[in-house]
Amino acid sequence: MINITVNGQRHDIDADPNMPLLWVIRDILGLTGTKFGCGAAQCGACTVHLNGEAVRSCVTKLSRAAGQKIVTIEGLSLHNNHPLQLAWNEMNVPQCGYCQSGQLMSAAVLLRENPNPTDQDIDDAMSGNICRCGTYQRIRAAIHKVAAMQTEGAKL
Amino acid sequence: MKKLLIISTILIVGGTLLLSFRTEPVKVDNPLRLAKDSVGSAKAFMSVYKVLMSARCMNCHPAGDVPLQGDDNHLHTMNVKRGADGHGVYAVRCSNCHQAENATGLHMPPGNPKWGLPPANMRMVFQGRTPRQLALQLLDPKQNGGRTKQQLIDHMAKDDLVGWAWHPGDGRTLPPMSRTAFVAQVRLWIAKGAYAPSAKAK
Amino acid sequence: METNAISRRNFLRVSGLAGTALCLGFYFPANAKNEQLISATGAEHGFDFNAWMRIDTNGKVTLTDHRAEMGQGSFQSIPQIIAEELEVDLKDISVVFAQGNPDKFGSQITGGSSTIRGSYKKLLKLSATAREMLITAAANKWNVPAAECYAESGHVIHRPSGKKLNYGDLVTDASKLSPPADIKLKEISQYKLIRKPLQRLDTPMKTNGEAIFGLDKKLPGMLYASVERNPRLRGKLKSFDASAAMKVPGVKNVFKIQMMVFNTTRDGVVVIANSTWAAMQGRKALKVDWDESGFEHVNTADIYKQHEELLQKEEGLSFKKQGDPDDILAKSANKIDVIYQTPYQAHAAMEPLNCVAHYQNDKIEIWGPIQAPDWVQGDISSKFKMPKEKVIVNMTFLGGGFGRKAFLDYTHEAVAISKEIGGPVQVIWSREDDVKQGPYRAGISYRAQGAIENGEISAVKFKMAGQNIDHWNTDKRGTANNSTTEGFLKPYYDSIKNISFADVPYEMPLPNMWWRSVYASTNGFGYESFINELAVLGGQDQLDFRRKYLRDERCQRLIDRMEEVSGWKSRKKNEGFGVAITECFDSTVGQIVKVSRREDGKVKIDKVWAVMDCGWYVNPDIIKAQVEGSVVMALGAATIHEITFKDGLVEQNNFYDYLMPRMSDIPPVEVHIMENTADAGGVGEPGLPPFAPALTDAIFDLTGKRIRKLPFKLSEV
Repeated sequence: MINITVNGQRHDIDADPNMPLLWVIRDILGLTGTKFGCGAAQCGACTVHLNGEAVRSCVTKLSRAAGQKIVTIEGLSLHNNHPLQLAWNEMNVPQCGYCQSGQLMSAAVLLRENPNPTDQDIDDAMSGNICRCGTYQRIRAAIHKVAAMQTEGAKL
Repeated sequence: MKKLLIISTILIVGGTLLLSFRTEPVKVDNPLRLAKDSVGSAKAFMSVYKVLMSARCMNCHPAGDVPLQGDDNHLHTMNVKRGADGHGVYAVRCSNCHQAENATGLHMPPGNPKWGLPPANMRMVFQGRTPRQLALQLLDPKQNGGRTKQQLIDHMAKDDLVGWAWHPGDGRTLPPMSRTAFVAQVRLWIAKGAYAPSAKAK
Repeated sequence: METNAISRRNFLRVSGLAGTALCLGFYFPANAKNEQLISATGAEHGFDFNAWMRIDTNGKVTLTDHRAEMGQGSFQSIPQIIAEELEVDLKDISVVFAQGNPDKFGSQITGGSSTIRGSYKKLLKLSATAREMLITAAANKWNVPAAECYAESGHVIHRPSGKKLNYGDLVTDASKLSPPADIKLKEISQYKLIRKPLQRLDTPMKTNGEAIFGLDKKLPGMLYASVERNPRLRGKLKSFDASAAMKVPGVKNVFKIQMMVFNTTRDGVVVIANSTWAAMQGRKALKVDWDESGFEHVNTADIYKQHEELLQKEEGLSFKKQGDPDDILAKSANKIDVIYQTPYQAHAAMEPLNCVAHYQNDKIEIWGPIQAPDWVQGDISSKFKMPKEKVIVNMTFLGGGFGRKAFLDYTHEAVAISKEIGGPVQVIWSREDDVKQGPYRAGISYRAQGAIENGEISAVKFKMAGQNIDHWNTDKRGTANNSTTEGFLKPYYDSIKNISFADVPYEMPLPNMWWRSVYASTNGFGYESFINELAVLGGQDQLDFRRKYLRDERCQRLIDRMEEVSGWKSRKKNEGFGVAITECFDSTVGQIVKVSRREDGKVKIDKVWAVMDCGWYVNPDIIKAQVEGSVVMALGAATIHEITFKDGLVEQNNFYDYLMPRMSDIPPVEVHIMENTADAGGVGEPGLPPFAPALTDAIFDLTGKRIRKLPFKLSEV
């Protein structure tokens, strides 16, 4: 049994400690918002937060997560109202939407560490996430939008 | 010369016995003391240089702020950046993909608990350095992480991340000599006076 | 179609059931030329997946998306059309995906950029019909003339009195009415929703993990399958050793599978397990011996060499010819003769192929990311000898498609595996399977010959050589590729008097298939690059050159707009500007690309301007998104990735060697949409073809170097 905490809920997992966290989350816990895209840490579709870091769950073994805190897209906010989720909706970012869980999880780490990122910062933070639909331009705009909203909010 | 070869051989044999361990440190507890010999020292460094400039070492000591990948030393895909601490930035921290150990399979992320580049304030660039430049840089505490010569040897011999180069995971080529032979050459280089090769050496 | 779509004779209704809903749909009898309107109440059976819309007694509207949603926006644009004429608020609409049922929906293939252009007139008419029936029901109830009533926000309102009834209170009465024969649709100027950049209905569920893609589908008792398929399409299985695989915890079963793909069979070994991971681990432990003899093992370099030889030696099969370009070319002194080449490409949708299937003795049910549920239904029905109505094909959201998920191999394979194990199964392809198995967009070579006399094009001769999608059916061989001119603008035919197109057939046992924008994606590079070369040969500005040869009014306005938005005329000395215009699926897109040299000497794409003329349209923001994405996909295919073959094997594996454009690689894309009232054209694909020729033209403008072979590396220009 390996104990992990996912979106605030503790789970005892009876599985091969070598099983990637991705498949634990999807096949055992049934949280399917985290996606399989490459299985080789190339595309970022499987990005979750492990103790706040945007790890690629397809190459992260269950054993690494033992006793740790994991947040998946389902836990990014309670009501789909993380500033990034709001901006994603307002800017019509997703097309097929498959990569967007990972994009959002990566963007959330960026904004936590740098509330007002430049285009270069966005390039640096987001280039680990592939979008085959090519929504990059809108992802960039939505991140800027959140930064602007937060600056506005801070002023008020 | 003959004596040195014997020493090297002993070290190699000793090393071989330890090879079954993942990133075994090489034993270097007895400092080697030899007469100063600028030619022999520089020659030993040329062997050291070949290892340091091999893909497994140089790829994490790039000239820019982007790590390198592959035997062709191409820029790491995904626009990966060094970051202040050498462990990446934001959502692209090294350990987000690189685990404490190599992932199995071709092209899967290699791993080590310390995986990363030298930090931004101590970049320890190998790429593009001539043998002379690299030798001088390695000897300069301001550029080598504040290491004495003995600490430099210890680092080459015992550091777990350095040792990864000889256990790089599926499909990756090894440095041109064993770690033991490499450390022996580092020791020789320093024991003979730590001379830097001439500016012409390539 | 417009005038006789609604036939009273075939209008069906069921009345007298309390609490019923108004369901409306078209009926497409297999042997009828035109669709028929039907209405049926069916509340006691739950939602009728085969009605296009259902209005419940609580006023809520449920719409069926009969097309796949793979990012192109059907989930938003279909409701946006229906809400407009039905006069309901989008917030009161929910959307469900249709099951495969061509008798009810007509074609459901999400391909050829057909979602809107193939359905919008029917959808407008259907929703206006429902609205008029609801108005009539209210007017009857109030005993007032229907002309005094109007509909708004899900209510019918009596204008003089201000009386108001919710649609929900009217559906039972409305379902007893006959639909009006003559429906007047709104003018574009009256639209409240259509042509507005409304937020997509599927975005919220794509930002919190709720959207169910094929891979997310789970059934009780479902097992997981991973299949080791022969890496060469025609290779057969000699033997396999499953002993190590069977020792992997969770692995239940290993067996051989053989299935028809194209006109050959594909051999594979299936590993069944209780989790995706166990199935994948079991598969890695397999020892498989393939028989790869008896067919050609090709190398990429040989393919293009063979293309070139064919293009030099053969005249090929004529597709279109006017005037006598050969004669003029023979006599002309001012001419060029060049070859353009484009690579094989994989679709590489972010969601790898997958399918859940449950084969039972009396029915087959499938769930998955499926572009063509109607095709799948027909295919499974015939292959497994099951009546069509017993084959239930459920579409999930698609994590990208680009043509790959309109191919029928993966759904067939899943059903065959379910049948073998006697229970529900999800077959999951790895990224490597996706990259290495194809089918691919075929690499095509073009030979272009042209002459300029007195500054005018006097002759153009195009020949293409490359695999033909249709040639998997051997009986279709012997005629030129159907798509030989796809992408080429038709108004050129009016102004270029001597022009010919021919297809030099090229056969190779590599799996090939449609890929976003199909042959326009490669033709566009050959043909529009050549127009640019002719402009240079004639000493003329590339945009003015097109203005001269594309005399059609819509093209003229498109060119004016391109010039205006891009600042083409005010370009600076150290900037390179390039242009291309292509047409496919009834939409024309022009693009202008601007490049410059960075400080390190490398060429950088500064900006892309795209102008889309797609006629009638629904949601300008979705169109812009589609074009933005098309440019990114075209950028990848032109400068970043290609599929290559060595000894008949694909050399690429995953995103580490089939690289993708990433955030840091893409230029800003500015999209403009032409306003006109022409019939709707496609949106998902036409934005892709002009990018590569416009980019290489911009690089020529900057550097004087003409790139004729794709892909090339921007860093090496």
